[in-house]
Amino acid sequence: MEHAKILIIDDEEVVLDSCKLVLEPAGFKITTASNGTAGLALVPELDPDLIFVDLKMPGISGFDVLEHLHATDPNRVAIVITGYATVSSAVEAMKKGAYDFLPKPFTPDELRLIARRGLERHRLRQEAIALRREKEMLRENFAAIVSHELKSPLSALQQNLFGLTAELEDRMSDEQKARMQRMKGRLDDLLKLIHTWLRVFSVDVNKIKEQFQPVAVGQVIARAIENVLPHATRKNIEIASDVREPLPAVMGDAVSLAEVLGNILGNAVKYSHPQTKVQLTAAADRGAVVIAVSDNGIGIAKEDLPRVFGDFYRGRAGAAMDSGCGMGLAISRRIVEAHDGTISVESEAGKGSKFTIHLPANT
Amino acid sequence: MSAQKQLLIIDDDPDFVDGIKAILVKANYKVDVAYNPKDGWAALENKNYDLLLLDVMMGRGAEGIMVARKLGKDAKLRNLPVLIITSIREQMAFLFPGEAVHPHFVTVDELVEKPVEPKLLLDKIATLIKTAEAKTGQVADAKKR
Repeated sequence: MEHAKILIIDDEEVVLDSCKLVLEPAGFKITTASNGTAGLALVPELDPDLIFVDLKMPGISGFDVLEHLHATDPNRVAIVITGYATVSSAVEAMKKGAYDFLPKPFTPDELRLIARRGLERHRLRQEAIALRREKEMLRENFAAIVSHELKSPLSALQQNLFGLTAELEDRMSDEQKARMQRMKGRLDDLLKLIHTWLRVFSVDVNKIKEQFQPVAVGQVIARAIENVLPHATRKNIEIASDVREPLPAVMGDAVSLAEVLGNILGNAVKYSHPQTKVQLTAAADRGAVVIAVSDNGIGIAKEDLPRVFGDFYRGRAGAAMDSGCGMGLAISRRIVEAHDGTISVESEAGKGSKFTIHLPANT
Repeated sequence: MSAQKQLLIIDDDPDFVDGIKAILVKANYKVDVAYNPKDGWAALENKNYDLLLLDVMMGRGAEGIMVARKLGKDAKLRNLPVLIITSIREQMAFLFPGEAVHPHFVTVDELVEKPVEPKLLLDKIATLIKTAEAKTGQVADAKKR
C-alpha cells in the first residue's frame, strides 16, 4: 500500500492541504485538484489507486464526478467527502458508485483509516480482475492445448488400430481380435473424457440457445432411459417412469436435454444398491415441466451438497467404485440454466437422493 | 466397381495418415499423400483425383481451410469432392469465434472427426464420389444436348 497514488478533489484549499499533511507522511503519493473538471482530467494519466472527492463544489458536483468515474471504469475506488453528512447524500453517492464516505470535519486518524480501507478495496478489486482474466485465459488455452496436443496423438493411435484391424482381419486369432477391440475401447474412453473436458471448459453452453426448438419432453425422457437401461439391467435396478402426458413443450435443445437426463439417471443408477428402484416422474406444474429422479442409494453427505453442481465434484463412493470425471452434474446445471431452468438436489447420506429439474414451458 | 479410384490425403501427421491409408488401401483405393498444404496443392494441379481427404489443423493454424477456400475458387478443382477430417469439434470457439467450422467450403464436401471409424470413412468417401460423378454426368449430358 506504500506509494499508493491518491487523488483528492476538493474546492477548499484547507481540506487539500490538511489531507496532504496527514497522508503524505503515511507514505502515500498525493495529487490534488481544486474542481471536478480538473480532477477528472488528471485521472487517465495519473491512474490513481484511490480518489477522494468533495460532493459540493462549484462547477461540476461530486456526484457528476462519481458518475463519470463509474462510467469510464466501474472498478475505480472513490470515497466522497461531504460537509453535509446526511444519510441521503451518502446513499446517493454510494448508488453512483462511491465505495465509502468521509464526513467533514474528520480527524487525521479517520482519514488515514478510511484511506487504508479504500486502498485495500482497490487491491482486492485488482486481484479479482486479474484472477478473472487468468481463468479466461486458462479456459481458452485449455481448449487449444487439449484439442490439439492431447487429441492428435490419441487420434493417430486409434486410427492405426482401425487400420491394423482392417489389414490383419484374416490373420488375427479371436483372442487377438478381442484384445484389439479392448484397446480401441480404452482409447475411445480417453477421447470421450477429453471431449467432456472440452465441453466444460471451452464450449459456451449458451450457444445451444441459438438452435432452440420446441422439444417434447416425453421423448427426451424416453431416449435418456434407453441410454441408461443397459447399466440399470446389469445392476438389476428397475427404472420406473411416470410421465404424466400431456406435458407442455419446452423451448430447448433435445440432445442437450437428453444428456442432462442421462447424467442424472446414470448417477441414480451408479449410486443405487443393486436390486433397487430408480423413480422418474415428469409433470406439468404452473407453467413449467418438472422432472424428478429419485433413488434409494448411498445419498450425498450434507457437507457435500453445496458442491455437487461444481466442477470436478465426485461422490466419495463414486470415486472408489466407478469411472467418471466429476463433470456430469456441472455440465447438466449449465445446460439446464441455458434453458432458463433450475436443477436442485435433496439428499440424505445412506437414504438416497432426489434431483429435480424445472424447465419453463414454451408459451 | 469400375476403375480404381485415386485419392489424395493432405495431413501433416504421418502416423495418422498411415492409419487412415491402411483402411483405404485395404478397400482398394489408390492413395497419394502430401504432408503439407504446399505439396498437396502441387499434387492436385498435376494429377486428377477422385477425392481429397483434407486435414484442417496444419502448420500454424487452420491451413487446411485455406486449401479448401482455394479449391472453391478454382474453376477446375471446385467440383472435386473433399472429405474434411478434423480433430476439432464443430464450433470450437477459439478457431472461428461465433462461426461453425463447417459451413461448406467447397461445392462438394463433408466433414468427419478424427479418429474416424473405417465403415463411416468408407461410406462417406463412396457417397461423395458417387454424388460427384452423378453431377459431372449431368453436366456432360447437358452439354451433349
